[in-house]
Amino acid sequence: MSESVVTNVVVPMNFPYNYRVGQYIETYIRGLGEGKILGIKCPSCGKVMVPPRKICGVCDRVMEEWVEVGPEGTVENYTVGHVRLNLGEVERLDTPVLLALIKLDGADSLLAGEVRGIEPEKLGDGLRVRAVFKDPAGDSLSDLEYFEPEK
Amino acid sequence: MRNVGIIGVGYTPVFVSKRKDVNIAELISEAVDAGFRETNLKPEDIDAFTFGNMQTFEGLNMPHLWASDHIRALDKPIIRISTGGTTGMSTLQAAYYYVASGMYDVVMAVTWEKHSEGDAQVGLSGIIIPEVIAMVQSGMDLAGGRGVGAMGGGSTGTAAYQAMSYLHHSGADPEHIDKMAAMERSNAAKNPYAHLRKETTVEDIQATPFIAWPLRYGHTCPTTDGATVCIVASEEKAAKLADQVAWITGLGACASDPCTGNLIEGQITDPAEQEPCCIASAKALEMAGIEDPKKEIDMCEMYDGFAHQSLMWLEKTGLCEVGEAHKLLDAGELEIEGRIPTNASGGVFSTNAIGTSAMNRPAECALQIMDRVEGGHKIPKKIKNALAHGWGGMFQYVTVMILSDTPRKLYPDGR
Amino acid sequence: MERKIAIVGQAQVNSGDVGMPRERLLFELVKGLFDQLGINRHDIDNYLICSNDFTTGRTISNVFEDSPIGAYLKDETKAEVDGVLATTYAMIRIMSGLYDTSLVVSNCLGASECRPYLVMDYQLNPTYDRQLGILNELSTAALQARCYMDTFGMTEGQLDETAARLLDNAARNPDSLPSNSAVTPGDVAASEYLYEPLRQLHCYPFTDGACALVLASEEKAKELTDTPVWIKGVGDSVETNYLGERDLARSRSTKLAGERAYGMAGITDPAGQIDVAEVTAKFASQEPIITEALGLFPEGSGGDVADKGLANTDGDMPVCPSGGALGAYAFAASGLVRLAECFKQLTGTAGDTQVEGARTALAHGQDGFCAQHNAVMVLSREEV
Repeated sequence: MSESVVTNVVVPMNFPYNYRVGQYIETYIRGLGEGKILGIKCPSCGKVMVPPRKICGVCDRVMEEWVEVGPEGTVENYTVGHVRLNLGEVERLDTPVLLALIKLDGADSLLAGEVRGIEPEKLGDGLRVRAVFKDPAGDSLSDLEYFEPEK
Repeated sequence: MRNVGIIGVGYTPVFVSKRKDVNIAELISEAVDAGFRETNLKPEDIDAFTFGNMQTFEGLNMPHLWASDHIRALDKPIIRISTGGTTGMSTLQAAYYYVASGMYDVVMAVTWEKHSEGDAQVGLSGIIIPEVIAMVQSGMDLAGGRGVGAMGGGSTGTAAYQAMSYLHHSGADPEHIDKMAAMERSNAAKNPYAHLRKETTVEDIQATPFIAWPLRYGHTCPTTDGATVCIVASEEKAAKLADQVAWITGLGACASDPCTGNLIEGQITDPAEQEPCCIASAKALEMAGIEDPKKEIDMCEMYDGFAHQSLMWLEKTGLCEVGEAHKLLDAGELEIEGRIPTNASGGVFSTNAIGTSAMNRPAECALQIMDRVEGGHKIPKKIKNALAHGWGGMFQYVTVMILSDTPRKLYPDGR
Repeated sequence: MERKIAIVGQAQVNSGDVGMPRERLLFELVKGLFDQLGINRHDIDNYLICSNDFTTGRTISNVFEDSPIGAYLKDETKAEVDGVLATTYAMIRIMSGLYDTSLVVSNCLGASECRPYLVMDYQLNPTYDRQLGILNELSTAALQARCYMDTFGMTEGQLDETAARLLDNAARNPDSLPSNSAVTPGDVAASEYLYEPLRQLHCYPFTDGACALVLASEEKAKELTDTPVWIKGVGDSVETNYLGERDLARSRSTKLAGERAYGMAGITDPAGQIDVAEVTAKFASQEPIITEALGLFPEGSGGDVADKGLANTDGDMPVCPSGGALGAYAFAASGLVRLAECFKQLTGTAGDTQVEGARTALAHGQDGFCAQHNAVMVLSREEV
């Protein structure tokens, strides 16, 4: 009689978390609902950052001045994704996804976003894009749905 | 080595159940701001950061990376320390070593917890989930595994075994746990940075339901949102930067086996034995040059997730004899005006943002020594030496620190 | 430095499936190291566990690891950071004068137990990036790769050469993943794109790994070994988490960490004074960024270095003769493996991967997306 030994058990960890986004991301999300992208300006270095946050760590200053940026911007860095990660597992995609770091007009930082409506080979640095908002808005970060080439 | 002292403490403005108005990084930044305000220091004065909170409770891996802007750590050295309940003091001990070694002069130790965004009991049970599922899948009878039964009520389940054992060995009555609970809650009522701030009587505690005998709901700690920082400096720097310093004159840390055993063989260690506490405390006291802790320690802050624990720790740290702690309680010696005020702050029992819990112990000692206590829990007598205690893991980690009003006398060999 | 501190021994395991519980893995690893040094657990006066609870899938993962490594009733603590930084902390504890010997140990069963990319997802800012799902371990690395390659004109072919060199090195290293075999740049180019420009073979392999080091003060080190490897300098630095505010073609925090370590070690000409470097490049594209920030190569020379073989084991500035993180990468343990590989190089025990006459080595470890937090350690056989 062979001895049965358990060598492996699968334990999926799925704990619920309830993150408070804080007042900065809340204001940002409300802005998206109105079709606006809001950045925050550092009173010291004057840089406008998106997404916004409370503190400019470089200048040690609390940031309070909201600045509307975009919705147009320029692609500064990009990648064509042939896979996506689903809970850490690599899944191949039939249609590649286009991701870019975009400098929105009026902002100093780059915002990560998905670009749609363009062939992968045409995506490149310097491409002008424009934010597309979800309609109706859903009080969420994905109200800024994607970017498309500027017409 | 060099002497190291705490030159400032920073708390979030409040410690409460749910801080809905801020996210985690912002919460931490409030304590960092308070630390800078208290010491009149600026980020450029800090050479390095140590950072700690409970692993996985908020589902955030290495949160110091997200918070690096918010804590003003950009371009600085930073290390994340994470040892369960002892995290707070382990993080402060890391800061101590950073300075004592001569590596850095001024270090900020940052700790926090935002329990409202996760679930502490789910997080704690996560320690043993792989074992429990392995047992179920291999057809083992869980009723036979006493360790698993102990975990049934989250951490209170195991603590009940500890409380039973403590009562048995000390000769204390369950009513002493009620009395300790009422005393600490009433202390917390005087402390503006405590969470459960309500003048409480023994009757109030006894009116709460039992969770697992002998522990009642009123014997357990809350889950809290809050953050704490301590700034430590070398003797030379402290002289320039601070008027008052609480010197770290001794420290110890010790690990044991998990007190629930390995769950396959069952419970193998008495959770009230707490040998690591005896070892860590003896080491810290010896380092601080304290020969008779019963006389020379003027106050203590114990890590008491449950109300029986402060009594147990008093005995294990050597601040009194075994079986003596509840007598000191009866004699009023543990009160703020007593001979050995124990948890004048209200303890972990009244405020428990876990990452901060073992840091708030030395922080409270430091504030008493530096005479910078805000609130009515100020101990009237002069504090020369204080003992701070941290506890964690599965009942198996203990950290101890001695804080004093004068710098440590180094050993003859310079250590 | 007030006290001289040395690494006196190393033990490591890298596997595609280690096939045993972590407790036993740690016991055998550490016991083996103690036997090799002729010591027992009482000769170690402080224990430092360097691991990550998200890879273990349990809170306070060290609770079941203390006894297997010998830390029962000993001073034990845990740092949830990369191994190079954890070792820095162990060194600092000995420097304080309160300890003479430290054990640093780490493990991560990244191949058989957890999903490393999911572990990284839990590092994302939960109020923004984690909600959006755009940034992840691979897409951020691809953006960083693109930024470097566009800024400095490195081609995908040159990236393939870099990866092939590392995988080739790994195949010669018995301590790296056993599955490694010699590959050509063509093989790398034939592997599938994940996020362009990164292909499968540009990325670290999932690894079950563990590594332990023993550190000792000067007197103890000389008792324990004839070939102590002295720690000459350490440094670490963190930069902003907000990827859109970082210059991804350069590594500011690696540069600062390197400068700190060089200052301590008295290194003024890194490329000239360092004989071998073991850096943690989780993706082939990170190697030029990190080595340039460390001053081992001129800025933007990644393509040139690949073409001319400058980083080869017999090249001008050997980098990762072990195969580095492309050969094996276990979260957190990887930094200890970098140090262990430097130890092998400086004690002349690196076998087929040996850099002839290596006397001074550099180990680098990283945490975070696009190497947000970096730690550097300079090691030497020279006592003074």
